[in-house]
Amino acid sequence: MLILTRKLGETIRIGNEIKITILDANRTQIKVGIDAPPAITVHREEVYRMIRDQNVMAAEAGHDDSVGQSLSHVWNRLKKSKEDCE
Amino acid sequence: MKISTTRFGDINIDESRVIRMKRGMLGFEHLKKYVLLTQDGETPFWWFQSVEDGSVAFVLINPFAIDPEYEPVISDVEAQSLEVASSEDVVLFSVVTIHSDPFTVTANLRAPIMINAKKMLAEQIVLVDPDYPVRHTITENSVALEAQEKADSIPSVSAP
Repeated sequence: MLILTRKLGETIRIGNEIKITILDANRTQIKVGIDAPPAITVHREEVYRMIRDQNVMAAEAGHDDSVGQSLSHVWNRLKKSKEDCE
Repeated sequence: MKISTTRFGDINIDESRVIRMKRGMLGFEHLKKYVLLTQDGETPFWWFQSVEDGSVAFVLINPFAIDPEYEPVISDVEAQSLEVASSEDVVLFSVVTIHSDPFTVTANLRAPIMINAKKMLAEQIVLVDPDYPVRHTITENSVALEAQEKADSIPSVSAP
């Protein structure tokens, strides 16, 4: 990992198009500004981690026998509440 | 071609029904080929079965069926990576998770799967809009059973 030290207001460039500027800092938090072309998506790491964890849980449907039953159960409840509305 | 799956046993699928992902699902980047399975044509749920790992399958639902006001913003770059020529060819799905304790069913509205039905290409897209939850609870009252037709345009396979 490349480690750089920057002062407030200073910038790091990644390639020609990405600029990361240190806007504010205190003992526990750093505020960074990111300029990047629209082709680059920028997300907090936690978002990816949350989605990855959710996918791992969701994929259990492929080998968990109770899922089929649960789905029919949900489906029947949905149909029933739909019929009740009509 | 024949694929072996934990849930559905051996299924025969035509090569043209295989949906390819360049990046793969987050957490499953090594799996790039899936097939969309329907179940008895009546439920709002679909299966996104891995071709390469028979034990991996995701339950999918049409996100517009559970949130009629769903308006995901898809960037041009994402659309280009799926070679989308017309928005008519695009179908979105949400990944469903079934939680046992307490029993709840949630859909991931933050990272939908976008499929180009014409090219049979797909990608899981992380939306920039932080208001869409990774766990959106599906309740009895929240599913519009009619909002299904478009998904029917994707070549899928009936689950055994």
